[in-house]
Amino acid sequence: MTSLANRPTPPRSDGDGPVPGPLPPRLTRSLVGRWALFVVMVLVAVVMLYPFWVMIATSLKSEAQFLSGGGFSWLSWRNLSATLPLGQEVLSSTIVCSVSIAVILLVGLPAGFAFSKLRFRTSTTVFLIIVSAMMVPLQAILMPEFVNVTRLGLTGGYAGAIVVYASLGTPFSVFLFATYFRSVPDELIEAGIVDGLGYVGVLRRLVVPIAVPAIATVTVLQFIQIWDDLLVGLLFIQNTSERPITVGLAVLAAGRTTSIPELMAGSLVSALPAMVVYLGFQRYLVKGLTMGIDR
Amino acid sequence: MAQINLDAVTKVFGDTRVVDDLSLNVADGEFMVLVGPSGCGKTTALRMLAGLEDVTSGTISIGGQVVNNVLPKDRDVAMVFQNYALYPHMSVEKNIGFALKVRGDSKNEVKRKVADAAAILHLSEYLDRRPKALSGGQRQRVAMGRAIVRNPRAFLMDEPLSNLDAKLRVEMRLEIARIQRLLGVATVYVTHDQVEAMTMGDRVAVLRDGKLQQVDTPQRLYDHPDNEFVASFMGSPPMNLVRCQVRAGAQRVEIVVGAQTVELPWRYASSHDLPQSGGGVVVGVRPEDVTVADGSAPNTLRVRVERREALGAEILVHLSNLEADGVLAAREESALRLVAKMGPREQIAVGDEVSVRISPEHAHFFDATSGRTLRRE
Repeated sequence: MTSLANRPTPPRSDGDGPVPGPLPPRLTRSLVGRWALFVVMVLVAVVMLYPFWVMIATSLKSEAQFLSGGGFSWLSWRNLSATLPLGQEVLSSTIVCSVSIAVILLVGLPAGFAFSKLRFRTSTTVFLIIVSAMMVPLQAILMPEFVNVTRLGLTGGYAGAIVVYASLGTPFSVFLFATYFRSVPDELIEAGIVDGLGYVGVLRRLVVPIAVPAIATVTVLQFIQIWDDLLVGLLFIQNTSERPITVGLAVLAAGRTTSIPELMAGSLVSALPAMVVYLGFQRYLVKGLTMGIDR
Repeated sequence: MAQINLDAVTKVFGDTRVVDDLSLNVADGEFMVLVGPSGCGKTTALRMLAGLEDVTSGTISIGGQVVNNVLPKDRDVAMVFQNYALYPHMSVEKNIGFALKVRGDSKNEVKRKVADAAAILHLSEYLDRRPKALSGGQRQRVAMGRAIVRNPRAFLMDEPLSNLDAKLRVEMRLEIARIQRLLGVATVYVTHDQVEAMTMGDRVAVLRDGKLQQVDTPQRLYDHPDNEFVASFMGSPPMNLVRCQVRAGAQRVEIVVGAQTVELPWRYASSHDLPQSGGGVVVGVRPEDVTVADGSAPNTLRVRVERREALGAEILVHLSNLEADGVLAAREESALRLVAKMGPREQIAVGDEVSVRISPEHAHFFDATSGRTLRRE
């Protein structure tokens, strides 16, 4: 620890612009640090963005151009839309995603609120049981789940996949909402109650507006997970007319001859929505992880 | 507007009686302060009034109606919270008008009432702001606004000033008292600050460990405390409490402090249930009732100045008694520590040996074991 007296005195400025002379050592160090950081971030960005560049560049070539290395063509996009019902598949993915997320939010938000703000017996135990469900990987319960859903007769269309996605995503959302609401002062809820609201009113008029960052966080994370998932869609959505985009892509890749440019075009279509959602909600996402409600 | 009655109200959390057999009447329009150290049950009592806590036993009634099982929203009381609990996603205007909107008042009516409340609280120019963009004092005003706009039957305030800095606290203290008088609504105000209690309350209820110690006007609490706790809690610095022997003889009452004896007026023997001669008692003296006297005057105590705290308008002087031979009393049972409040011009320095006089008119006597006052009613 340097004492106050030992510190280098900053150059005096009389208001006539910067004072010439060497920068104080701390400033130099911080400049070097910032440049090093910048270089590292550029490298990371290249590593992250390169696959996208490959996807875009490759999708704009024909098979022959891809093998030879040069040229430009819309052929793979045309072929892709001819082989795959792209619109239908994107729609399917959207339906499965949005309904699942709606269920996850509708269950997770009130449950998280109840676990963090209402006092009831066994609340801690029940909460721990629900949260421990987060530890169970999908693969471990896939077969029994498949049997159950088949017995319920839900493996044809969207319903089965939605049930599976919602039940897999809910524990996390309960956990996230409960944690988030713990940072909301009890007095805020009590103020609402004294002001004339019941619990439902409190939930609707106070808790939901305050929880927007948490809602955004759950939405983005679940959207990315569900949109990009292949396994559940492949197993539980058996009607070809209702299959999501990831399953469509898998079909494309599983053909006897796979056209790489077409696959890249399809991958791009599949990857874009997740990126758009992420970028759109990013502002809330950061807030959701850092924001508490202070006095 | 209504009066509030608590009748033998008790609250038990686990094994702890947080509020123990509390009976209290707050008249219509009265400003009642609940004061006590932290953990004395004052906030719990307030929360039971608001309906945020169940009552274990006893009854609470507001305006003659028993409200034990009435939901908070149907009690028609407004509460101001310690951390204000403003709705962060609403503007000042919406915050103040929220309860009215929930109640179903028309838009115009809400607007008019919010404007009236904002005018009283000098908030009119901030109506569009979010709570985040307000200073502490302004947030406090919004919290008040939220309460007064409803014109409720009672105000409940839970340490509303404790988050403000000292200057603002004095300002808002006056402000809250002014608004309460203006609206004439029965108010229960919880604080741990005895200055707030003294300055704001029409009456003050002192609590300790969930039990009501005394309820009275601030001045009577100060002048006639019922027990040692009230005596030492009300007033800053607190009352000097001295364990000593009392000697009541022919037409005289004497107290023995270490090796020194002070004679007090004979009337104390008739106004107080003093113990038999030689019995122990706790004598209470307010710091302002200890004054420097001429050494040759009778009934003075020889003391040494240990510490001197100049507060500007007054000086607090910490004193220790001397034994007869001029040495400092060392033994615990005869050692006396006194705090005296003196005028700013008093020439007194640390280490001085002086004689002090205890104002004979203002001595208090408490039972040495129970701490209860020995004053006859």
